[in-house]
Amino acid sequence: MRRSLVLTGAAVTVLGLLAGCSSGGSGSDSGKTTLKVAALEGGYGRDMYTQVIKQYEASHPDIDVQLQISKSIEDEITPNMKAGRYPDVVVLGQGRKAALTETLIKDKALEDLTPVLQAKIPGENKTVGDKLTKGIVGNLNTNPYGTDKTYLMPMYYAPTGLFYNQGLFEQKGWKVPGTWDEMFALGDTAEKQGIPLFTYPTAGYLDSFFFALLADIGGEQFYEDVMTYKQDVWKTANARKALDITTKLLGYAAPATVGYANEQDFTKNQQLILDNKALFMPNGTWIVGEMADAPRAKGFKWGLTPLPAVTAGGKRYITTSVESAWVPSAAEHKDAAKDFIAYLYSDEAAKTFAQSNAIQPIEGIASSLSGENAEFYKVYEDPSVAALVGGFASTAPVAGVDIKATLFDTANSIISGDTTEDKWQAALNDASEKLRQAGD
Amino acid sequence: MTTLSTPSPGSTNRTSETGGKAPSAGSSRRGARAAPARRRGNTGFVLACLLPALVLFAVFMVIPTVNVFRTSLYTWGGFSPDKRFVGLDNFRRLLDDEQFVRAFQNTVALLVVVTVVTMSMGLFLAAIMTRQRLRGRNLYRFVLYIPNVLSVVVIAAIFSAVYDQKNGLLNGTLRLLSLDGLQQVWLGNQRIVLYSVAIAMVWQSLGYYMVLYMAGMASIPEELYEASALDGASATRQFFAITLPLIWQSLRTTLTFFVMSAVNLSFVLVRAMTGGGPDGSSDVLLNYMYKQAYTNSSYGYGMAIGVVVFAFSFLVSLLVSRATRREPLQF
Repeated sequence: MRRSLVLTGAAVTVLGLLAGCSSGGSGSDSGKTTLKVAALEGGYGRDMYTQVIKQYEASHPDIDVQLQISKSIEDEITPNMKAGRYPDVVVLGQGRKAALTETLIKDKALEDLTPVLQAKIPGENKTVGDKLTKGIVGNLNTNPYGTDKTYLMPMYYAPTGLFYNQGLFEQKGWKVPGTWDEMFALGDTAEKQGIPLFTYPTAGYLDSFFFALLADIGGEQFYEDVMTYKQDVWKTANARKALDITTKLLGYAAPATVGYANEQDFTKNQQLILDNKALFMPNGTWIVGEMADAPRAKGFKWGLTPLPAVTAGGKRYITTSVESAWVPSAAEHKDAAKDFIAYLYSDEAAKTFAQSNAIQPIEGIASSLSGENAEFYKVYEDPSVAALVGGFASTAPVAGVDIKATLFDTANSIISGDTTEDKWQAALNDASEKLRQAGD
Repeated sequence: MTTLSTPSPGSTNRTSETGGKAPSAGSSRRGARAAPARRRGNTGFVLACLLPALVLFAVFMVIPTVNVFRTSLYTWGGFSPDKRFVGLDNFRRLLDDEQFVRAFQNTVALLVVVTVVTMSMGLFLAAIMTRQRLRGRNLYRFVLYIPNVLSVVVIAAIFSAVYDQKNGLLNGTLRLLSLDGLQQVWLGNQRIVLYSVAIAMVWQSLGYYMVLYMAGMASIPEELYEASALDGASATRQFFAITLPLIWQSLRTTLTFFVMSAVNLSFVLVRAMTGGGPDGSSDVLLNYMYKQAYTNSSYGYGMAIGVVVFAFSFLVSLLVSRATRREPLQF
């Protein structure tokens, strides 16, 4: 008797285990469509999403939106995705460490969102395409395969560039340099006063620097060539010039930079700017919030400038980081997902987002900004400055080749003298060539 | 401890000669007497009791391990349904991958340096504390053991404060002693960053192994030391002739544990402290595997690295176990 009880117990345990592993299907029996939305909880917070979803549900009573939001959203949705349960809409940009967006692009696992551009925004007469800022779609950031199909909808955009202390420049009577020659002259002046010209939080932050520099030097065509791994592009004079300027700039780097350029200490590099111990660093607009509680020098005021021009009066580009919304091709409710994404560009939603400083690429929205943000977005008003979006084109993954690491992380070795500019150029050419072959 | 692995048949005789003094030997004899009495009907019952554990083991250990080996033969991003079988290509590519070779070298270096230092310091401290009847040894034991209960992320934060190039503890102390020339950018200099990581690893695990060895040493009968002292043996001689041989079996076990845990610990610590930087100079195998499998979307390649790590840990453990095999001694 007792034995059979134990046996039953064991059987129940096993069944329970197995059931535990396989439970959790979709639970929409009430006739409502359950739309699963996953979003990264970035600097903008989570309230704006709950508000927008509430507004959407009010006008769409047949849809129940489930929001999953987290600072490490990749870790939370990836296990389910591997088990075949995909969210319907994901708001997550590229350039994150977990590289989930990039992985799905490389795996060709995203839904074509070109129809969303022609879709009418729910409750409005305009289409999504009408409202978007010109030039914000159609680049490698939204059309990652270089075709005319859009897979990633641009959600929020923010300028990145060189951040500095406006207060210090006023005190010293310095002018923000307009060309690289002026930049290095300023570097020499500042060095005499014990202030290094340059620092970076970690080498990965050089992305905003490099992309703009490449376009400044060789124009958008050259930038495109580099991003699409054109053969021998790193052997060209333009590429050498970019590395020359960078190597020279790194020579002006604050001595503490490399030692602090890691996950633990990168804020100490950012602190150098606040303490007037370095003049410029590449960064994004989130820096204001990130360092909000940090102590700072008297009269400190954040400033943002595009990279200096290569020649006086030359065109300057400002790398613009764009977060995206996308739909996995394995999602369950793709049509509802597309409708929801279209709604995200409605006046109602845009207003809610803008209140949390999440600025969407919608025509005329920048005029509604206030405070430091307004100043940052003003960089686009300079007629000689153009926005630059995109990044390296996606290819099939090439094991062991990470061109971003080769391009950015090597800066650490350049500063410490562990490698040379020639070796850097050769390594870049090698990585680019391998990726080009994988893309063909 | 006495009968951890006793391949020679003579050892059983010896235990019975000593009158079954060692408790583990005694219990195994009792078990042997009970075995024939077990009735046949019990087998089903035993199997039923084992089933949940076996299912858990299969689901969480065997199947994932087999999957790692299988995936290492494919090119796969991690999500898409199109996996491409490439045979041993991933492994062939590993040989040409400079960053992989570097990560491998770093792992081996960490393993050797950290193992040797931790083991010898652990033994030394344990011997001093048990043999020399050190005053306040409980306090020392407590203090040295604390790092072991800290999370690795906390340790990373502590050491990044210690190593801080400007106002860190280390450089600050050096300045205080007017040894300014010895100041270093501990986490920024590519030639020493690995040793900076190694020191943090030693600090973390030293207390744990020391406590283990202390327990082993405490069970050695005092008579042996008294007898040898009468024969004029010095403390050093006693350590090498009595202490070390008698705790040899626990030393072997901990060594194997240590090799395996060091591979894991180095990953967590490197990830939290340096991220493998600057420029990959402190990368270790598991960190590189993570980068390839996730950041670089080369899941199959990452799993190939996983297979190498598996084989490597297995091999090292086997070698260590073989190299340290001795006839077990008893007291």
